[in-house]
This record gives sequence, structure tokens and C-alpha cells, in this order.
Amino acid sequence: MTPYSGLLFFYLLGLLLLPTVVLGLLGRTLKIYGLIFSVFMLALVFGEGGQLPALITFYLWEGAVFLAYRRWRARLPLWAVVLFAALPLALVKVGEVWSPFAAFRLLGISYMTFRAVEALLNLHDGTVEALSFFQWSSFLLFFPSVPSGPIDRCRRFLSDLERKITPEEYIDLLRRGVWKLVGGAFSAIVLGGLIWQYWLAPLPGSGFLPTLSYLYGYTLFLFFNFAGSSSMAIGTGYLLGIRVPDNFRQPFLSVDMKDFWSRWHISLSTWLRDYVYTRFVTDSLKRKRFRNPRTASYLGYLLTMMTMGVWHGLAPHYLLYGAYHSALLCLNEALDLHWKPFKKWKRKGFGQVCCVLVTFHLFAFGLLIFSGRLF
Amino acid sequence: MEQKIAEILAELCGVEPEEIQPELELFDEGLLDSFAAIQLVMELEEAFGVSLDMASLPRERIATPAAIATLIREKKG
Repeated sequence: MTPYSGLLFFYLLGLLLLPTVVLGLLGRTLKIYGLIFSVFMLALVFGEGGQLPALITFYLWEGAVFLAYRRWRARLPLWAVVLFAALPLALVKVGEVWSPFAAFRLLGISYMTFRAVEALLNLHDGTVEALSFFQWSSFLLFFPSVPSGPIDRCRRFLSDLERKITPEEYIDLLRRGVWKLVGGAFSAIVLGGLIWQYWLAPLPGSGFLPTLSYLYGYTLFLFFNFAGSSSMAIGTGYLLGIRVPDNFRQPFLSVDMKDFWSRWHISLSTWLRDYVYTRFVTDSLKRKRFRNPRTASYLGYLLTMMTMGVWHGLAPHYLLYGAYHSALLCLNEALDLHWKPFKKWKRKGFGQVCCVLVTFHLFAFGLLIFSGRLF
Repeated sequence: MEQKIAEILAELCGVEPEEIQPELELFDEGLLDSFAAIQLVMELEEAFGVSLDMASLPRERIATPAAIATLIREKKG
């Protein structure tokens, strides 16, 4: 059963969401049923796909790492704990490109691993002072965003999980949630499906013009499909009382690549910004690691976008996608710094239109790399 | 405090201190980016003797000069 696809999935989703709607309208707590809902949905989806044992193993592994760190926080080095938490993801990524490890497969592991790592980082930073095993399990296993995000933040998630919702507030969440679910389904299933079936599928596998057509078609397909899936996950989250953050904000109106990454897959880009770029650059500046502070920023972009590439997979086209975007971000920063008219130019009039078009095409070419069609 | 914040921001953003209005949206107006935000936090820590963890600091806390002043007051207690 593919999540957010097919009548059976939506029938089961609706059926299992009914109790939460009743509880919400009665003003009762949703967190206990929320976890039950997630466990049921995961069992259905992963059970049918034959991945339930892998999911249980992953959960037990991450649970052991979390409990060990919570118990012996002062004694265990953070880097080692993060490495342990990321180990299952690393095995899956290696398995995608190296057949001896092909048995390691788990849907949504990239998203769940980032949640597990974030919980550890938040405990280390003290941004989350106390995290019960129930709260941690609710966060890690939160079904709506397991298949394809968004990546919610631990502290934000906990504030919603523990919040008392009045029936009036729930009616508002319900209305917005259903709207996002329906809108997302239209975007992902109808628009994405039409583009795939009538635009991409009939295209020949090679040739300049078919590849050019694929560049536009694939960009639109991925936007409608991914933004739609995110919207359905957000809508389902709303029905469970969790206001999952938005993942897209008119990305094709971006005026440069920095602007773009604040509008496309926002939850991933902000996660990487906060936990990779900011940590690396802050540490580098404090230790005066480089004579020119901007070097830290350029290397920070390289590290951040390569992490994003690896997060997608270890295949060459994913690594090249990461390298391509780190180069674009460095170029963007250099233009901001050294070409004064750029900042004004991209903010209004014809210059802005040009910047929007160039940014769109730079990203679309990036997706062509990402798609693997060039290799 | 507001004057000092305006001076730090003016230096970082390359504008005159008078242009730094309390409700100026620093990120939306393109005056701050991720790197400048890190530099800002480090300069605020040094200028006001407070500890701000950039990695866990929500952007809205430093989105305007007024928000920055509120944050510093909270941290100074």
C-alpha cells in the first residue's frame, strides 16, 4: 500500500481518523489516540510492504540510543550518539548502491532519522529539557509525515502534543486539515498524475528536445507531487491536533537560490541550515578557523548541500545534485557581496523577472541532475 | 540598548543607523542572510554579555530590531 495513494489507503486513513475527530470535537486529549493511530497506520503500510520487521528493529535501535543518551548524557559524546542514531540510515543508503547491503530497506527512514537525531541534539542543547519515551515515540513515529515529510521540529511538535485543544479550536483545525488534504490530493494525484501520464511517460529516453521537455515536465511533476504529498501530510497532522509546518511557499517566485531554499522543502532546508550550516559556521568563526570569515560560509554551504545530496542517496546523481547546489549558493553569496547592483536588481521590475526566470531554470536543471536522466 | 543594536545592524547590513527602524524586517528586506545572522548573534553576545544559542534560536527572535531588543532584555533578566 503506497501512502497517500489509492482508494484503500484513503478509506483506511478516513476510518482511523474518525475517532480522533470525535475526540477533538469533544475537547478530549488527542495525544494517546494519536500514537495509536500512527502505530496502526505504520503497521498497515509497512506490514503490507513487508517492512514491518525492519521498522520495529529501527524503532528499537533508535529507542535504545535515545534512552542511553537521556540516561548518560554527561558521559556520552554527542558525535558518537549521533553516529549511532544515523547508522541505520547509512546502511539503507549504502544498500541502495551496493547490492550486499540491499536487504537494508525502510520507507521514510531519511525523515525518521532526522527526527531521531533532532531529539538527541535538542536534549544536548537543552532546548528540550525533558522528553518522555511516550513523547519521543509520538514524535519519531508520527505517521502523517513518515513517508515524505515535512520534518517537524521536536520542540514545536511537543508544544502541540501537550496543548489542550478546545472544540472550537479543533473545528478550525479540522476545516483547515480537510482543505489541505483535499488540495494536496488534487495536486499530487490529479495534477502530478496527469503530468506523469501525458507528458513524462511518453517522452523518448534520449535526445536534446525530449530532455529539454523532460526538464520542464519533471520540475512541474515533482512540485505538484511533492507539495501535494506534503499538504496531505500536513492536513492529516492537523486532524490529529499537530500543526505540521508548511513545506512550500511559492518556490517558483524565488529571486535567487538562497531565496529558493527558504521556499522549497522548507522543513529540510531549515533543518540543515540550523544543524549543519549554522553549527559549522558558528564554530569556525569562534575558533577563527579561517583568515577570511566568508570561507566558513562557503564551506558551510558545501557541507550543507552535500549532506542534502547524501540524505537523498549515495548514487552519483544525488552527490552531483548536492555539489551543484552548493556551487550555486556560493555563487549567490559572491554576487550578493561583490556585485552591488544585484541586491537592488532582484527586488523590483524587469530585473526581478529575469532573476525569477534564471532561478527557476537553475533549479530545473538541478532536478534534471537529480532525476538521473543525464547518466 | 536600541541604539547599540542599530549600530551593530547598520554595520552588518551596510546601511546608516537611522535606516534601522524598530519594525524593519531584516530577513524579508534582504538585509540579513544566514551568515550575517550568525555574525549578528556573535556580536550581540559580545556587546551585551549574554549567551545566545544560534542553532536553537528561532529566526523570528531576531527578525526585527525590536524583536532583538526584547530577546536581549529577556536574556539579561
